[in-house]
Amino acid sequence: MKCTRCRQAAAAVDLPSHHSAFCPDCFFVFFRRQVEEGIRKFSLLAPEDRVLVCVSGGKDSLVLWDLLLELGYDTEGLYIDLGIEGYSDRSREKVIAFASARGKEPILVDLRREGVPIPETARKSRKEECSVCGTVKRYFFNRIAAERGFTVVATGHNLDDESARLLGNLLHWHRDHLDRQHPLLPGTGEGLVRKVKPLWRVSEMETAAYGFLKGIDYVTEECPLSEDATSLLYKEALSLIEEKMPGTRRKFYQGYLKGRGGLLPPAGKEPRKREAATEDGRTPGPCLVCGAPTYTPTCGFCRLKEKVGKGALR
Amino acid sequence: MIRVRIPQKKKEMEIPGPKRVMDILAAAGLRPTTVLVTQGQKLLTKDQRVEDGETVDILSVVSGG
Repeated sequence: MKCTRCRQAAAAVDLPSHHSAFCPDCFFVFFRRQVEEGIRKFSLLAPEDRVLVCVSGGKDSLVLWDLLLELGYDTEGLYIDLGIEGYSDRSREKVIAFASARGKEPILVDLRREGVPIPETARKSRKEECSVCGTVKRYFFNRIAAERGFTVVATGHNLDDESARLLGNLLHWHRDHLDRQHPLLPGTGEGLVRKVKPLWRVSEMETAAYGFLKGIDYVTEECPLSEDATSLLYKEALSLIEEKMPGTRRKFYQGYLKGRGGLLPPAGKEPRKREAATEDGRTPGPCLVCGAPTYTPTCGFCRLKEKVGKGALR
Repeated sequence: MIRVRIPQKKKEMEIPGPKRVMDILAAAGLRPTTVLVTQGQKLLTKDQRVEDGETVDILSVVSGG
């Protein structure tokens, strides 16, 4: 199979959903353009932004950091050590090696030191590990960004992640979640930093291929706590459809972003503002315990801390 | 025989060659959109032929949570 772009070199990546196959060099061009278009379409990043890239050691976040550096953005990486024996240590090593090779030093948060390692916190709070992990990570993403003067938080969520999440939200009619599902969550003056997902146009396979061909050494083992994650089931269902009807996943998610599927009030280029995220239009205020911005009297992180019987952080 | 390694599952198998990558994936029960098939530093497309005596690695690209 020849590259459909240069028509000379042998193809290394075939993309039925784009009716294309690319040699490594042409694939890099394709991938970069997809991400640049994703950033441009919703004005996710501006040249003057200070970007906090949340990195796990996996392919998506490391590819994102690599590409944002290549595109010339002012970035720093944040690694949160989840306290998962073995897995977290190996992930941390990958992040440090990646950063060091690019003259960077990641910001490290150790959840064991913070008193909220994920396995123990999930057990004590009797909540799902992935749910606990999401609450804790979101808290630290925003806290570190706000404390250190970053203007935006970037995560490595890709097309597969977002389309699986969309499927889950639709299946359960999580209207409030649907309303906030977008590659851009604007910041608020009350301390919530803007959050963006620049990889929303590229698939998991494309990101993995990019990382492999660029020689990025990422963690290939799966998080041991996510084996039963429902998102994996939704991804599998979509993969099954994608194989029979290439391009469906992209049409599903991008179609939703264009018209919100006719399910929700008409949306412009931006999602509804965070200020209007609650039904009664409340704006976020400081958490009564830690001062972090929240729509409830006490933030999700402090409620979690309370459940594990350790009290709040500060 | 073609040696097929699936490191994330700590699994290894041998299947008779030659075979196209898509047939190797079918024999391993894996879907093409969920994996990368590599040979050393090379990425293989699904129509590529793998000869007897060669080794390929299959990497899952799916992450959850």
